[in-house]
Amino acid sequence: MRIDCPYCGERDAQEFVYRGDASLMRPESEDGMADYVYLRDNLAGPMTEHWYHAQGCRTWIAVTRDTTTHAMLGAIFARDGVR
Amino acid sequence: MADLLVEQLSGFGLATIMARKGVSGMAIGMALGVEAPAQPAFCRGENNLALIGTGAGSWFAHTDMVSPAWHTALRDRLAELASVSDQSDGYMLIRLSGEDARTVLQRGAAIDFHPEVFAPGAAATTVIAHIGVVIWRRDDDARGRPKYEIATFRSYFDSFRRWLDHTAAAL
Repeated sequence: MRIDCPYCGERDAQEFVYRGDASLMRPESEDGMADYVYLRDNLAGPMTEHWYHAQGCRTWIAVTRDTTTHAMLGAIFARDGVR
Repeated sequence: MADLLVEQLSGFGLATIMARKGVSGMAIGMALGVEAPAQPAFCRGENNLALIGTGAGSWFAHTDMVSPAWHTALRDRLAELASVSDQSDGYMLIRLSGEDARTVLQRGAAIDFHPEVFAPGAAATTVIAHIGVVIWRRDDDARGRPKYEIATFRSYFDSFRRWLDHTAAAL
């Protein structure tokens, strides 16, 4: 799989570290913390995820891709959008 | 006969520059009198100083001829704008030139080195043989052959050199 890094351009996925779902928000209180830490949707289709370009620009990016086809649908710096 | 010249460089200065929060590349470029590229690129300015884009808000500063006060002077000029860390001893630099230089690089790094994509002034941070490298392309030599420079961590240099020797032997 090749990932479109907004700084470096298209790179092999091996250069990146995967974190996961970018849409999760840390809850304010302990309620919901277990779900935040452990519960994941297993999406089939477009999904936005955090990837860290460890072997490139050393930046966190938010990548939207189709999990069924690995098609890249866009990538932005994580600090510019979803947290 | 392969057309490849491998030179291990010495006497250079290398430092990382990381912009403080909210400081633009423009401000850093103004302070140093050389363009601080917003993309992976090699920009050479006056006073033998070049900036190489290594990430969003981060650059390598490079000089061919280092002086003892080089990195402190850099730090003073970027006071309040960026953090500067001298890496002159942390990285090794190697220069590959000649018609076959591109072939050698292409066998190591999974990025496109076609001249239309990786022209003089281009730069990239990537891996070769699992070893982190920063690569930039200088102006072609007098005979129009490409010239690349590669920075790699000093502690990995022997391993990198082994990859290079094996790959060059197969040309």
